[in-house]
Amino acid sequence: MSAPNLLELHNISKSFGALTALRDLSFHIGPSEVIGLLGDNGAGKSTTVNLISGIHRPTSGHLSVDGQKTLFTCRSDSADAGIETIYQNTALVDSLSITRNIFMGRERTDALGFLKQGEMRDIAMEVLEKAVHISGIDSPDKLVGDLSGGQKQAVAIARAVFFKRRVLLLDEPTSALSVRETEALLAQVLKLKAEGVSSVLVTHNLYHAYQVCDRFVIMSHGTKVFDVPKADTSISQLTEYVVLT
Amino acid sequence: MTYAMTDRAVPKSRTKKQTLLKQIMTMPAGAILLVFATLQIVCIIGALAYPDDFRYLSPQNLTILMKAIPVLGCLALGAGILMIAGEFDLSIGSVYTLTAVLMATLVDGGMSAFIAAPLGILLGVIIGFLNGTITLRFGLPSFIVTLGGLLFWRGAVLLYNGAVQVRFDPEPAFSSLFAGTLFGINAAFIWIVAFVIGFYLLLHRHRFGNHVFATGGNPAAATAIGINTDRVKMIAFAIAGGMAAVAGIIATARVGSVQPGQGAGLELQAIAACVIGGLSLRGGRGSIIGIFLGVMLIHTITDVLLLLRAPGFYLDMFIATLIVVAAAFNHLIERRGAA
Repeated sequence: MSAPNLLELHNISKSFGALTALRDLSFHIGPSEVIGLLGDNGAGKSTTVNLISGIHRPTSGHLSVDGQKTLFTCRSDSADAGIETIYQNTALVDSLSITRNIFMGRERTDALGFLKQGEMRDIAMEVLEKAVHISGIDSPDKLVGDLSGGQKQAVAIARAVFFKRRVLLLDEPTSALSVRETEALLAQVLKLKAEGVSSVLVTHNLYHAYQVCDRFVIMSHGTKVFDVPKADTSISQLTEYVVLT
Repeated sequence: MTYAMTDRAVPKSRTKKQTLLKQIMTMPAGAILLVFATLQIVCIIGALAYPDDFRYLSPQNLTILMKAIPVLGCLALGAGILMIAGEFDLSIGSVYTLTAVLMATLVDGGMSAFIAAPLGILLGVIIGFLNGTITLRFGLPSFIVTLGGLLFWRGAVLLYNGAVQVRFDPEPAFSSLFAGTLFGINAAFIWIVAFVIGFYLLLHRHRFGNHVFATGGNPAAATAIGINTDRVKMIAFAIAGGMAAVAGIIATARVGSVQPGQGAGLELQAIAACVIGGLSLRGGRGSIIGIFLGVMLIHTITDVLLLLRAPGFYLDMFIATLIVVAAAFNHLIERRGAA
């Protein structure tokens, strides 16, 4: 009937020794969808993020990508599936330029391994101008260390966009940002959605999530307690679920 | 929320208001370039004004400079690439002596210098790998591991050949390759220029260099993105060891003999040249041109003080001041970058 879901979690459980971090967790991420993954501290949000990005393996249960059953055993498996995780402390090198950060580990080179600097710079310029419209970045030659927190996240997102990611996992993306940078980031998420990139916003901040998310998945004690489209809920109801469950 | 908001989402860029001077200062190696150029201008004006008293521009003096720079230059290039990757090598001074002694004794025993010299470089590379293996396998600070290397290989020189000078008497072709002249330019100086170009291409234009900066600048990010940081560091250790051996060959070919104590303190001078050239002690920052300018600056100051007949201790005090000022300056730049 409709397109298959980009990513599905089926009855995922995860234990660390005696500690059960996730219990029978199932939810899905559809195409062009922004999901708010909400929950109080210790609800299992971070474990879920690590699981989807391939850092943890589930104790039981499985994932599906485009309807195909699969398991991520390492970081690159999830990257191959088109998933990019953007952490609070983004994985960027401060002493290198934006261009070099975007292409870090995936450099364009000639047969001898020498960098095609002009080509990479042009692409970075284009990505920064078109895909990630966050102002203040006027040149891809700027050092990442000279950027603000929001600009750094923009570079990380630019990297994800350029390498054709379909799902962005944003782990507490707004916690280190100014109000303006937060607005810009949320606008970015919506813009990417319009271009067909889904996002998962993992956050404490219900108001930020409510601004942009199409659907909310609320976790408590390692499992899903609520899964609701935006149209069927309100901030007060979401707050109730996060606080009371 | 509209997209228009994104246009003023972030404070305006500061770069547009910067003056040319500020731009030079924030360039990699910009500050050192400024200091170096100023010093050269002062020296040249001084030499033109007092040609008899200050013989800076005399052919003899320029030759001395060109002969002196390559040895420290080779050591600093190797040490520098390793520092950018986030590690130290204090053993290069001892490795420099050890490999030179090995090469000289092999030649003394009848081997061609064209075979003995690569064997010396091979030994340097192997010692570099050894430093890297111990550092990475046991997760130790390379500062400590290579401090051990400094003492160990210094002792090994005496064990191997005693505290005596070794004569180095290679075939003429070898001598002219490293100590001859080409178009009036000292061969060793041509070598160092070639190495600077080669290292520049490797560090600033090659994928490997990008990985070196990432490894030193943010190891966690480098690993997350799929760079094998241990492998990068291992190669950098090997380069540092190999370049120490190259320095030994150049020095030995020039002098025609090896003193068992000749490398002492050179490792510190090499690191000093790197720091003066803008390398961060924490890795991830620096440039080849900065390293080379650091080396040239140390030798220019040495030369000027000699020409002025200043007592030797002034030199140490001068270099010491320069190191601390350079380190403080670099730290300021870094903090500004981190803010």
